[in-house]
Amino acid sequence: MSRYDVVVIGAGLAGLTTACQLAQAQKKVLLVSTGGGALLLASGCIDVLGFQPATSKQPVTDPLGKLDAFLAEAPDHPYNIVGKANVQTGIETFWEIIHNSTALEYWGAADKNWLLPSAAGAVHPTCLAPTSLANGELTKGGKMLIVGFRELRDFYPALITQNLNEQDLGVEAASSVINAPEPLAKNMNITPLELAKAFERSDFRRKVVQSLQGQSKQFNRIGFPAVLGLKQHAEVLADLERMLGKTVFEISTLPPSVPGRRLFEGLKASFLQAGGRLIIGSKVVEGLIENGRVSQIQMETANRLRPLTAENYVLATGGIYGGGIQTDLDGQVWEPIFGLPVESDSNRHTWFSERFLSNAGQPVSQYGIQVNEKLNPVDSNKTPIAENLFIAGATIAGADWTRGRTGDGLALATAATITKQIA
Amino acid sequence: MTTNTVTDTPVDDVTLSLWHQVQNSADYCVKCNICTSFCPVSNVTDLFPGPKYVGPQAQRFRNPKELSVDDSLDYCSGCGICSMVCPHDVKVMEMNAKGRYKLYQDKKDIPIRNRMLGRSELLGQLSSPVAPIANFFLNNPLVRILVEKIVGVHRKAPLPGFSFETFRGWFNGVHKKSPNYKPSTDKRVVYYHGCSTNYYEPHVGKAAVAVLEHNGYEVVIPEQVCCGLPMLSNAEFDAARKNACTNVESLVKYARAGYKIVGTSTSCTLSLKSDYLHILDYNTEESRLVSQQTYDICEFLLDLYDAGELKTDFNPVNITVPYHSPCQLKAHNMGLPAIDLMELIPGVNINHVQAECCGIAGTYGYKKEKYQIGMDVGKPVFDQVKQINGSLAVCDSETCRWQIKGATGAKMIHPVELMAKAYGLI
Repeated sequence: MSRYDVVVIGAGLAGLTTACQLAQAQKKVLLVSTGGGALLLASGCIDVLGFQPATSKQPVTDPLGKLDAFLAEAPDHPYNIVGKANVQTGIETFWEIIHNSTALEYWGAADKNWLLPSAAGAVHPTCLAPTSLANGELTKGGKMLIVGFRELRDFYPALITQNLNEQDLGVEAASSVINAPEPLAKNMNITPLELAKAFERSDFRRKVVQSLQGQSKQFNRIGFPAVLGLKQHAEVLADLERMLGKTVFEISTLPPSVPGRRLFEGLKASFLQAGGRLIIGSKVVEGLIENGRVSQIQMETANRLRPLTAENYVLATGGIYGGGIQTDLDGQVWEPIFGLPVESDSNRHTWFSERFLSNAGQPVSQYGIQVNEKLNPVDSNKTPIAENLFIAGATIAGADWTRGRTGDGLALATAATITKQIA
Repeated sequence: MTTNTVTDTPVDDVTLSLWHQVQNSADYCVKCNICTSFCPVSNVTDLFPGPKYVGPQAQRFRNPKELSVDDSLDYCSGCGICSMVCPHDVKVMEMNAKGRYKLYQDKKDIPIRNRMLGRSELLGQLSSPVAPIANFFLNNPLVRILVEKIVGVHRKAPLPGFSFETFRGWFNGVHKKSPNYKPSTDKRVVYYHGCSTNYYEPHVGKAAVAVLEHNGYEVVIPEQVCCGLPMLSNAEFDAARKNACTNVESLVKYARAGYKIVGTSTSCTLSLKSDYLHILDYNTEESRLVSQQTYDICEFLLDLYDAGELKTDFNPVNITVPYHSPCQLKAHNMGLPAIDLMELIPGVNINHVQAECCGIAGTYGYKKEKYQIGMDVGKPVFDQVKQINGSLAVCDSETCRWQIKGATGAKMIHPVELMAKAYGLI
């Protein structure tokens, strides 16, 4: 007897939102993940389409409106398989999860991108953003002060402001670096998470505001690295805005990402509240496919493999960065759990673009599983390999979040497509 | 390909591979800091810089011929959350346990306090026969101040009371001699009770025996010593390994005969399942066999349920109760069987506490200099327990139960005690 209707493998955006929606649809869902999931390294925003074509330097302002053109330009992008309607449904279902969550507050619409400052002072076009990040919308113009902390290395307000100012975006940015107050004062190397915890203390916030006294007057908005509280983020933001008398916004940082963690915790809480079961720290190492169906998977526990069975399985283990697709020095590329076929070139020289930060993405990131419109894996003849196995997000062939900045939209669209079929 | 002959400690061939897997997993670390962001200790104190710095990052500098560079490792509580959340399967906690061993080897001095906390079994053997007197003294605030000053165990740390009657004494002397004792003849299971059940909380063992016998098992209780984890986490690897050998020698006979070995202490069962192999380098055919046959008791019972073999003649228990999942249970990497098991009881509503660690981490929170860190780590757990049901809470691990009881005043029970109650056995 199986105790689950669905087992979802992977705790990134695709896995968590699929699991969450299915659990909210009264399915018995188990989510298993090797570790904490890719959201902890992500911006916390939902990128649906940022650049069209992918190599363009001009950010997209209407992601849904530009989607058809993007699909025509990139016929091998998995958006073509799920289709525009499911991209829309994906965004809508994300909204439903957010509306039912007490922890998360997002803003945005499918036909409008926010244009937000990145940690390098570039423009980050994104579809949905948490309040604090959305407050940094560049087209609002005006004067913004970007504040950093001497103790938080890897966040350079001067770099951000110079790059923003040079792009003539209609904002006037200035920077300020202050010393972190106690208890972080003179700490050599702090992480965004440590600052986020400190910001939950009112005395810490007060001292930060004091350090900015006299500096903040001439500005309309004050920007901080995304460290303004974790669990009490909403209170922290409101309190800072009250004390400063200005709009306060956050800019995504290098990992560990605080807005990513907020989203992770919020989705996790919604999933558990809907009755989902969660195992973080176990690796699914093997899946058995018999007669066109997955019959069981094996999970690695502290001392033995444990078989798990369910009606349906969702593979959301990511691409090569997430470990969903593996490679070796001999040029082999494979999917480690079910051994699903991956089309790839064994000549490793073809795996990478000439440019490291190429908007077109890296060919090796696009290696993945071929799927049909139901998102079942298919073989080279397009015959489904397992009808109760569904592939979500970056594991699909052609997916690469850098490619037009489509990763989150694909995660949500595949989550919606899968949910429709098995809910 | 070259091998670094300097850092390779001379170990025999069998032990090489597992420890090397742990050591080499440092190469998969991409410095993402996810472990640090979840570390309950570095989240509340500056004294510990976080698992990444002292773990995979420092691993490269650990040369057996040179002194340890990272004293702050002593502030790692060993809870293992770092290994759990690592998306790249880096064995951070295991690396750090080994690093702490090296640290104390270099210091050539393990404080007497740590040696004492590592020997809960010896303390039990000495004190249980005089339990009323021992408890009287340990409940005396003046004595606790002296103990803190002289030994370094914090005066407020939640010491359990010694039990006058040991679990083994009850099982062999009372239970098996009872006229009602009619063991099953076809199904047998081995029970590894551990020190806490034997000397401090025999009631947990009694509940386990009752539940197992109710389900038609004869409970077999072989000779056993402390699992060694308290010594392991206090860097006494040699002493811990000695206990591991004794246990494996005793248990392997049963494992060979196909018996399953169940335990009510999540840390003891984790030692048998994994720590002997991965941290103590005790990797033999026998230790692997014992590992394979070991089950957490709730894992075992839920497997029975899945096979349609668990009795479900529960009386309703109408209760909403907080459940704290101990770190040492999460490290079994099998999920939380206790929740599904307890929810089989009509009327039971389990409210899973959403916080990482209670802060005690075995013997960590007892230490004078770490007590407050432990309390700060555990605060979210205590707050939620008080909020959900401040009078009763469930947890699988003994030291967590003592810690939460000490901080909240809630009565703490093991999941099998709730099962035994619902079966009408206690």
